[in-house]
Amino acid sequence: MPKKSKQQIDAEADVQGFKNELGPFVVAAETTRMAMVFADAKHPDNPITFANDSFLSLTGYARAEVLGQSFNFILAHAADAEALQKIDHQFLAASDAGAEIRYRRKDGSEFWAALFVSPVRLEDGEIVQYFASFVDLTALKVEQAHSRALIDELNHRVKNTLAMVQSIVWQATRTATDPSVIREAIESRLMALSRSHDLLTRANWEGAGLVDLLHDALEPFRVDGRADRIAIEGENIRFPPESALALGISFNELATNAVKYGALSNSTGSIHVGWKLESTGQGRRLVLQWREKCGPPVSPSLRKGFGSRVIEHGLDAFGATVELDFRPAGLLCTMSIPVPEGAPHE
Amino acid sequence: MNSILTGRRILLVEDETLISLMIEDMLVELGCGAVTSAATANAAVGLVSRQAFDAALVDMNLNGTSSRPVVEALAARGIPFAIATGNSVDDMWGDFRDRAVLRKPFGSDDLSDVLARLLRTERQSSIQ
Repeated sequence: MPKKSKQQIDAEADVQGFKNELGPFVVAAETTRMAMVFADAKHPDNPITFANDSFLSLTGYARAEVLGQSFNFILAHAADAEALQKIDHQFLAASDAGAEIRYRRKDGSEFWAALFVSPVRLEDGEIVQYFASFVDLTALKVEQAHSRALIDELNHRVKNTLAMVQSIVWQATRTATDPSVIREAIESRLMALSRSHDLLTRANWEGAGLVDLLHDALEPFRVDGRADRIAIEGENIRFPPESALALGISFNELATNAVKYGALSNSTGSIHVGWKLESTGQGRRLVLQWREKCGPPVSPSLRKGFGSRVIEHGLDAFGATVELDFRPAGLLCTMSIPVPEGAPHE
Repeated sequence: MNSILTGRRILLVEDETLISLMIEDMLVELGCGAVTSAATANAAVGLVSRQAFDAALVDMNLNGTSSRPVVEALAARGIPFAIATGNSVDDMWGDFRDRAVLRKPFGSDDLSDVLARLLRTERQSSIQ
C-alpha cells in the first residue's frame, strides 16, 4: 500500500473532524444501506476520503484499499469515455437524475450503479468535498434484460402466428369459393390454435400432456351424441410447447376429416386413439394410432387435401414420422414421435 | 409471374408446417419446378449435400435451434439463399449480415422479388 500524501492525510482528518462534530449523522452515514463515499474536491483525481460499510460490501474492498484512491478507481473500464463524461457531469451539475455507470468489484465482476454526487461547500461557497452515493442497479438490469428477452420472444411468436394465420386464410380461399365454407375452414383452424395456446398458458408454457391435448382438441367434436364414440387410451405423457402446438393442429385436422368424411360423419362410426412407448434403435419413441371404424366407405379423393398434408408433415420438425392409411374399413393414422428419455408424465 | 423463377429447384427450410405448406404452394404458383422442404437443420444439410438447388429460403430459427449450419452449407456450395425470420430486431449472424432477409409474415410478391433478385445476381456473377 502506497504511503499516504500529506494532502490525503489532511483530507481524511477533515472527515474525522465531521465525525467528532456530527456524531449521530456520521454513524447514520456509516451504517446506512446506501453505499456512500466522500471525495476530496481539492485534488484533480478526487481521492476518496471516507467510505461507508455499504460501499465496502458493494465493491468487495477493505476500507484501507479504498481511502486515497481516485474516485474513478472502480470504473469497469478506466477509459470508458461515456462514463467519464457522465461522472464529470455529476460532479459539475449535481443533477437530480443520477448517472448509470458500470463499475467493477474487487473480484473483477461488474455491476451497474446509479451515481449521485453533491458538493460539500464551506460558508464562502468553496467546494471542499464531494459526497457521492451509489444505488446498485444489478437487479434492475437483470430484470430489464429479462423483459427485453420476453418482448423479443413474444414478437417472434406473434410474427410466426400471423404467418400461420396467413397460411390458414390462404388455404381456405384457394380451395373453396362459398363464403360460409371459407369462414368455417378458417374458424375451425383458428379455434384449434387458440385452444392449444390456452392449454399451454394454463401450464405456464412448460408443456402439455398428451391426454389433455387430445381432450382439448376433440372437445368441439364431442357434440350431438358423439362423445362416447371417441375413446382415448394412454398415459398422459408430456410434450414441450412447440410439439404440443403441432400435435393440437394435427388432431384438429384428423377430427375435422372424421366429421366430414370419416367415422364421425355417420351415426355408427367410432374412433380409438391409443399409444405406447417403444424402445427402438434410434431411442425411445411414442407410437400413436388414430383408428377409425364403422364409418362410411373411405373415399380415396381425400388423400391429397391440405388437411392430409398438415397431418403427414405436421410433426416433421420433431423428427416424427406420420403415416395416413386410408383403409376401406376406416382411416388409420400412425404417428411415431421421438420422446426424450425420462420425459415426465403430467 | 417472374419468368426467372420458372422451373427452378428451390430448397425450403421451415419448421412450422402450416407456414411451410403455404410457401410451397406459393413457390409452385410462381412457376418453380421443384420445391423440396426440410423442417430440421439436419435434414436440410443432408439435402444440400445430395441434391442440386438453384436457390434456398431458410428460416433462421428451427424449433428453437439455429439454422446457421444450413446457411453455411449453402454458402459453401455457392447456392444463393434468403433468410426468413419472425424477429424484428436485427440479430442476423455477423458474417451473413449482407444476405437477403424476408421478414414474416410475407406475401407471395415479396417471396417472388427476393428469389428473382437472388437468381439474377447469381446469373450475373456466373457470367463474370
